[in-house]
Amino acid sequence: MAGLCRGANIGGETETAKPVEPSSQSARRRRMEIHQFRFVASDTAVAPPLESGRRKRQRLGSADVPSGRACDNAVQNSIVDERKIPAGPGSEKDADSNKCCPSISSSSSEIKPAVELASDVPKFGMTSVCGRRRDMEDAVSIHPSFSREVPESSTDLHFYGVFDGHGCSHVAMKCKDRMHEIVKDELERVGENDSWENKMKRSFSRMDEEVTQWSTAVGITSPCRCELRTPQCDAVGSTAVVAVVTPDKIIISNCGDSRAVLGRDGKAVPLSVDHKPDRPDELERIQEAGGRVIYWDGARVLGVLAMSRAIGDNYLKPYVISEPEVTVIDRTDEDDCLILATDGLWDVVSNETACGVARMCLQSLKPPSPVRSPGNQDATTISAARESSDKACSDASILLTKLALARHSTDNVSVVVIDLRKNRS
Amino acid sequence: MENCKLQQKFECCFQDWINQQNQDLEELLQALSLNKDDDDENFQQLAAKGIKHFEDYTDKRALLAKHDAPSLLCPPWCTCFENAFLWIGGCRPSLSIRLVYSLCGAELNIDTGTADHLSAASSSPLIESQGNLADISSNQLHLINSLHLKTIKAEGKLSDRMASLQEEIADDPLAMIAKRARQVGESSQSVDEVLQGHSVALGCILVDADKLRLSTVKELFSILTPLQNADLLAASKKLHLSMREWGKRREQQMRDQCEMITGDQEEEINK
Repeated sequence: MAGLCRGANIGGETETAKPVEPSSQSARRRRMEIHQFRFVASDTAVAPPLESGRRKRQRLGSADVPSGRACDNAVQNSIVDERKIPAGPGSEKDADSNKCCPSISSSSSEIKPAVELASDVPKFGMTSVCGRRRDMEDAVSIHPSFSREVPESSTDLHFYGVFDGHGCSHVAMKCKDRMHEIVKDELERVGENDSWENKMKRSFSRMDEEVTQWSTAVGITSPCRCELRTPQCDAVGSTAVVAVVTPDKIIISNCGDSRAVLGRDGKAVPLSVDHKPDRPDELERIQEAGGRVIYWDGARVLGVLAMSRAIGDNYLKPYVISEPEVTVIDRTDEDDCLILATDGLWDVVSNETACGVARMCLQSLKPPSPVRSPGNQDATTISAARESSDKACSDASILLTKLALARHSTDNVSVVVIDLRKNRS
Repeated sequence: MENCKLQQKFECCFQDWINQQNQDLEELLQALSLNKDDDDENFQQLAAKGIKHFEDYTDKRALLAKHDAPSLLCPPWCTCFENAFLWIGGCRPSLSIRLVYSLCGAELNIDTGTADHLSAASSSPLIESQGNLADISSNQLHLINSLHLKTIKAEGKLSDRMASLQEEIADDPLAMIAKRARQVGESSQSVDEVLQGHSVALGCILVDADKLRLSTVKELFSILTPLQNADLLAASKKLHLSMREWGKRREQQMRDQCEMITGDQEEEINK
């Protein structure tokens, strides 16, 4: 990510893209695979607008959309079309990491300051730790601007997913790798004008099929602990709570007992209802399908699984289904933040407390006044403001994680906090 | 006689280590109570000293392990409570990370009893930096988590090696020698050789376990700040020494109880 970012900024600042040694800090960050959202690398700040029509900031209108995995964290990195940059060692490296990203075939010469353009990309913070367990089965996937609402529209969609695996980690990992691509594919189907609910349901269904096919395929190697040996690997699944955020809507699709909660005007609005086997409607559904819920260390489907819906878990079908419940909610000016987390958090922290903590963090770190970076031009100040916003989200996610640890959460803890406040100044 | 001396050497090594820890702990606690701010250099020095002492101790153990590894894995000079919780002759390497998590939680200066309280407190102490383990940053937490996963994996590998070694008891040659022997416990040169071989293998695992313990702490200390290191070191030493004292007390209590139990009661327990 840092490399990508640098390449882009170099392109923006000077005509010759030259190789840059990543600072040890950014190199380290990349090594550790920290998915921290950063507007721009701290030392490059926002590149000044450039006359050249060759490259453009990704968020400029009237351009085709870059898509695919490389758009992970791409927005803030001002992706440029690498193929159009004079080849240099630096750009080569970046182009490589950009392989799956279709070009931004832009001819627009109108370049606006990135800041103004990027303002509707929500900032986020993410923390995911193994905690007091000896296996890490959580996975988090974040892809800002992973898709656009309709082809040719300039409205960016952002993807946030939290997956809590059980049995082994491979289903959660697969969801992390693939879910956003499948959702994107479903959303961008030409000629489809279907409801959000149907699109998301199809996505989850495809994800589930993929997991099933993949784990029964022969000859694949997996680094996970079950090593995909059947029948163990049939008894593996994952929760999935996915948020697609548009400029005016939030679409939550949930399957399992991870949860999405919206902080709105100081209050907590749950956007998903946990799929527990003893939830009356779920209990009825399971029984109608011929399954039973047995109380064995809590309510469990067939006495085994403590949730009533999941991706994977082939052996518990049709009682355990992968169909998500989809919530579509309009964004308002009162929205503070969206929190996605696994039960490692929700088991010990209430929705209200979580939203309270997040809101406090967001409020306490207001974008700094221009004095903060003396002697520098506006761009630096603005980037500092961006960073502080990221920092606030990051502070919120880490504080919630610490709180979960303080309250003796015994599970993996994964928390994503997304800043939904508009018109931040 | 020879054996007795060796045993003393073992116990001495351990006792020295305990004394050293007591001394280090005192120093750490004093430094922590004096100044929390501008004392990074001092904290760093103390932390480095703590690591150095542990390193010296593991070096000595490596030497002793060549002579008699089993007594390091199940030391007669420790209480049986302590021994019951040992992992290959010491604490689990991941214990340090778990300790970071619980200290981080315990030192978190936050009362989240009610959400109202939270939203009311705009200038909450929550954001205030104290520099201790509660202030672990996002970056640190990510690094600690990676170290955690790596350590658990390494522990697993050592545990597997231990398991193989334990299972080898039931294999050729020990099992066959025992089966063929005319008398239970019949000794021979070959038996002694095999037992020595097992002991040496055990020693190798112990040395590797000590290495993992040391490297985990070292890496952890490179992630944390000097103050956090001092904080963690003090807490872990205190925990270790306390466990020892509690173990002793418990052993005494068990002994006292045993004496009080009459034959009838014993019978009942046996049921």
